[in-house]
Amino acid sequence: MSTTATHAHDDHHDHAPKGIWRWLNSTNHKDIGTMYLVFSVVAALVGGGMSFLIRLELGEPGIQVFDVVGEMMGSEANQFYNVTVTAHALLMVFFVVMPALIGGFGNWMVPMMIGAPDMAFPRMNNISFWLMPPALVLLVLSAFMGQGAGTGWTLYPPLSGLAGQPDMSVDFAILSLHLAGASSILGATNFITTILNMRAPGMTMHKAPLFVWATLITAVLLLLAMPVLAGALTMLLFDRNFGTAFFDPAGGGDPILWQHLFWFFGHPEVYIMILPAFGIVSHIVSTFSRKPVFGYLGMAYAMASIGLVGFIVWAHHMYTVGMGVNYRAYFVAVTMAIAVPTGIKIFSWIATMWGGSISFKTPMMWSIGFIFLFTVGGVTGVVLANAGMDIAMHDTYYVVAHFHYVLSLGAIFAIFAGFYYWFDKMTGKVYPELAGQFHFWTTFVGVNVLFFPQHFLGLAGMPRRYIDYPDIFAEWNMVSTWGAYVTMASTVFFLVVTFFVMIGGRKSVANPWGDGATTLEWTVDSPAPFHTFEETPDFTGGNPAAHPAE
Amino acid sequence: MSSSSDFSRRNRRTAATAFVAVAGMVGLTFAFVPLYTLICQVTGLGGTPQVAERSDHEVSTQEITVRFDANVDRSLPWDFAPNERSVTVNLGAEYLTSYRSTNLSDEPVTGISTFNVTPIKAAQYFTKIECFCFVEQTLEPGQSVDMPVTFFVDPAILEDELANDVKTITLSYTFYRTLDDIPDEEPEIISQADTVLTTARLGGT
Repeated sequence: MSTTATHAHDDHHDHAPKGIWRWLNSTNHKDIGTMYLVFSVVAALVGGGMSFLIRLELGEPGIQVFDVVGEMMGSEANQFYNVTVTAHALLMVFFVVMPALIGGFGNWMVPMMIGAPDMAFPRMNNISFWLMPPALVLLVLSAFMGQGAGTGWTLYPPLSGLAGQPDMSVDFAILSLHLAGASSILGATNFITTILNMRAPGMTMHKAPLFVWATLITAVLLLLAMPVLAGALTMLLFDRNFGTAFFDPAGGGDPILWQHLFWFFGHPEVYIMILPAFGIVSHIVSTFSRKPVFGYLGMAYAMASIGLVGFIVWAHHMYTVGMGVNYRAYFVAVTMAIAVPTGIKIFSWIATMWGGSISFKTPMMWSIGFIFLFTVGGVTGVVLANAGMDIAMHDTYYVVAHFHYVLSLGAIFAIFAGFYYWFDKMTGKVYPELAGQFHFWTTFVGVNVLFFPQHFLGLAGMPRRYIDYPDIFAEWNMVSTWGAYVTMASTVFFLVVTFFVMIGGRKSVANPWGDGATTLEWTVDSPAPFHTFEETPDFTGGNPAAHPAE
Repeated sequence: MSSSSDFSRRNRRTAATAFVAVAGMVGLTFAFVPLYTLICQVTGLGGTPQVAERSDHEVSTQEITVRFDANVDRSLPWDFAPNERSVTVNLGAEYLTSYRSTNLSDEPVTGISTFNVTPIKAAQYFTKIECFCFVEQTLEPGQSVDMPVTFFVDPAILEDELANDVKTITLSYTFYRTLDDIPDEEPEIISQADTVLTTARLGGT
């Protein structure tokens, strides 16, 4: 017994299966996390490429890109523009942000942060990941089928019904989302079980790191919201293929019913994309200010209340369907109430930095960028929460600017922040600081030039989801497309640098960030060994990582 | 080790609870379909008018204008229009009006209509007693019918501080071809010349 134990202990760090089977059959949370991150990068390249095409098209009035692209794809320019917008949105939501934040960083870091050897159900974790590539394939195929699914990610009937999209494309998109939803539900169950049952002894929920809290709340939101999407998608699938009329007034249905069901899922979904980002940013701000996070419990319960209230605000996405004034007043009030816990988080991050010994390393820069950009997007969100304002702004570029500030800039900045923060831990390499700073500043300038003018376009009345626009909108659209060039160049720079660092970077240490990094993942080697915390760390006497031995 | 099997039992129980929650949410989603119809009927959400046997209200001296609107889905080869554009009625008084439908095709066609009332806040005070929209209507080729609607406006609208500014209510219908009647090929449209006028079958309460 003792000899085998010693033997296992000696080589367990590197004892990983070899070849393709290590990945196909993987039950290791770190390998699965890595696969999610790689998957997310692949989907981001496709989805980002699509958004670049959209910006090229909108760079000047007239139709100059999608006539060619549409013809190549055997579709008409306007339709294929809509197909591209739809695929871009679905890719970014389901195949980039969620896999990166939840599947990627969640799988990598949550078990280590709570001192668990792996997730509660490692084999279920495997199927969670491997449902995603077929879902991605189905989504891409939907663009190639017939005319493609030009419905927008909201899939409103009757446009998404047989009357609007008669060929199979929408059915492919529906099945793709079904698979992605099943993956999310399995993943969420796994996270909930892991976090509730497998924390190190002494680590009560009130001592759990904020990223663990964020992942738990996200998982609960997924568990309650995803089935609603799945149910609604099933109804749509039946309306399209089996003669039911859930959303068809000719058969007694109601298209507005879809909007209620979709947004009952859709609004929690936006918090699903941002709550893990909140968790990551809390750790980074604390680490690089060398202070514990300000108002830890307030931070945790702010996330919980954002998640809870997120379920009762859905109709603020549909003020224009003809709601009575009382309903609108209610949805305005609860929507604005979400600004309170969100404000608690923003101010707590600032208070964490206040009086801290701040070092502006790359992850910290991305986190401060996140706080700034998310606040801008949050403020425009409060503007749009007003039903009276929204009637005028509905479906304009103001809305596009708003949700790109909170998601494209908010969630994506947090993903980059997490990437640079945990890069050493995941790869064992040091990311060159100068390259990270350069990537941050070029992206920061690029995305602001890209998205800020869209506020002006929206206020001037430019509607979203059109391939063309009147000449009066030409100038700000041109500026916005310049921003897209800068962002694209910055992304290429990032990919090239990352590639070279991965093959030849300097070796990092267990904790490259010093005393501020107090979560358990910094107590293990970099890169994190294949198996960690086979011996459970003990929290009963306080955080063993809070006072590094050196 | 018993603790390890306890542990995995605890994990399985948590996961089972999670899956029950998922199943419950799927169930709620489908339960919401009939629930949504019910909510609309009760609260007037989406401009859904009320239904009653008769007007039990005293007829008020206060008047309100009701306008009539008609739309036809492109799948239905019918002509459909109100016989009067608008009327001014006393609150609480029952009023009978009619719409005329003509089947323009060379085959029998069955249609059904949806309806709503704007402004939406007035819907809970607009009450129908009889309506052609409660049942499917079949018209023979070339047949033309008058389809009656009996309604009243509840005087309680005067006491609703959010709705008592309403002076005009629009009652709107959209006629669709019923889903089981949709043909494989588009029917041929014949001329309106030899139409026969009959009275529509009435149903509902």
